[in-house]
Amino acid sequence: MSVAQVKRIAISDSPWPWLLPLIALLIVFTVYPFFYNVWLSVHEFMPRTRSLKFVGVDNWVQLWNDARFWGSLGVTFAYFAVALVIELALGMAIALLLDAELPGFGALRAVLSMTLVIPPAIAGMMFLLLQDPQFGVVTYLLNWLGLLDKSTPILATSSTALAGVLLAEIWQWTPFMVLIFLAGLRSLPAEPFEAAMIDGASSFQMFRRLTLPMMSRVIAVAVLLRGIDLFRVFDYVFTMTSGGPGTTTYTLSYYAWQQTFSFLKWGYGATLSLTSLIIVMVLAEVFIRLAKVRW
Amino acid sequence: MNQSAFARTTRTIAGWAVVGLFFFPIYFWTSVAFRNAKDIFNWPPIFFDFQPTVRNFEQVFGISLGFDFGNQEAVTPGGGNFYMAPRLWDSIVVASLSTVLAIAVATLASYALSRMAFRGRHQFVSWVLSTRMMPPVAVAIPMFFIFKQFNLLDTYTGVILVHALMNLPLAVLLLKSFFDDIPAEIDESALLDGASRWTIFRRIVLPMAKGGIAATAVLCFIFSWTEFLFVLTLTQTGLKTVPVVSSTFVTSIGTAWGNMAALGAAAIVPAFIVILLVQRHLVRGLTMGSLKQ
Repeated sequence: MSVAQVKRIAISDSPWPWLLPLIALLIVFTVYPFFYNVWLSVHEFMPRTRSLKFVGVDNWVQLWNDARFWGSLGVTFAYFAVALVIELALGMAIALLLDAELPGFGALRAVLSMTLVIPPAIAGMMFLLLQDPQFGVVTYLLNWLGLLDKSTPILATSSTALAGVLLAEIWQWTPFMVLIFLAGLRSLPAEPFEAAMIDGASSFQMFRRLTLPMMSRVIAVAVLLRGIDLFRVFDYVFTMTSGGPGTTTYTLSYYAWQQTFSFLKWGYGATLSLTSLIIVMVLAEVFIRLAKVRW
Repeated sequence: MNQSAFARTTRTIAGWAVVGLFFFPIYFWTSVAFRNAKDIFNWPPIFFDFQPTVRNFEQVFGISLGFDFGNQEAVTPGGGNFYMAPRLWDSIVVASLSTVLAIAVATLASYALSRMAFRGRHQFVSWVLSTRMMPPVAVAIPMFFIFKQFNLLDTYTGVILVHALMNLPLAVLLLKSFFDDIPAEIDESALLDGASRWTIFRRIVLPMAKGGIAATAVLCFIFSWTEFLFVLTLTQTGLKTVPVVSSTFVTSIGTAWGNMAALGAAAIVPAFIVILLVQRHLVRGLTMGSLKQ
């Protein structure tokens, strides 16, 4: 190799020109907004003077003492936990069911991917209609089964509103789990299962001792990606309940958005959204380390 | 496996029933798009037996289809409260251009991340991944004020930039996984033959990764197509995409379910068709390149 050749390879091998557009965009659209948010969180909009005033840590003190913030955090975690557990369990069950070459199962897998391309805001509307107290299908079925009194509007009753929102969430995202788990199941080697079968293991034993451990990485990735999105749920709440009735479906994202854009509490909204960001980042980082997820 | 015929039949039926349950809301929503108000507002709800109509579509798209299953009321083309064709156009523009931008930036970056060893590469990938974790509300709030300063509120440019940014982590990680599938030896031997990185990228790697790039583009398109919070926050009257405009069908005199469903169905069908085209790469895409099918 000539000197010139070596030089050319060395120069053209610098990754930075390739990465520059990406870095520029990420700095302008994530790093800058992040610091802007931090700056906003120590200011507050003064409606009388129509300007921002420095308020120090007032917003953070207010956050600590704000019962509605703690309430929204509780709702967010409840939503997160319930949805994640149900989507995982149901997703695995359906994946196990569909993991077979039976008539039409290929088409069924394709049909399941339909829910994933529906805008969540529209899915929210779909379930708003399905749960309408006067003519909704879900209302009708629950009445018919005797599980719900006709006079109880699902989305406007404190005890059932969150479940109503979760119904849309679980309907739309269980197929996400199914498709991922199906791909995982199909990539499992056959030999351990054949050996276990010869040893007379039951299907439950095989699932516990073979399928689950071999699927752990797949499950970890699914939990991470779904978990991140669950924590920041906004669309369903906005379209289905607007946080109500009372504060029973106020999630952190919705609360932050509402403080900023409905109540013009720009600084406090920023504080709330930063809190949500910090919680997601910390939880995700801990999870990535514990579950050893790598890209 | 030697399953009995009975077990196979049971399992087939169970599979169809479960998926049918998931399909039902889509069926019902689509059927509402073809209903008159009286068939929507009925108790008990009507499942199948309704008088079909295309009025909702005619009103939403401002067109006259010239037939209406025997329903006689004519629709004035090109107008009305529920005329939403321009919003569909907004959605198409935003989703297409933000996809082009995200793919352009991401292919370059992914190539470097896939092929070049440099210090901090792993940290860089983690940084890109971490931007995927930012709650949209924590970006939308500061972005509203920043956009206000730079007059980007309510503009195509602003929404396109934000949607491209939102899709960058996915595009970068997914494309990197597709580039990783192409043997690095190809690049190395071409380098030794005197080809520049740029030539290799353009002439060898891009053509070989065509399928992967298409799949990535489809997913970026769909995520922009379905996005709600950024458009809701960063636009007012200039443009609105389909998911956001759907929520405005709730009016003081009631919700225009038929029109909303017509718009929704029109938005879902093309997205479903494109997702079918990349079915093979779907799981890899949903897991940001982490799981290969």
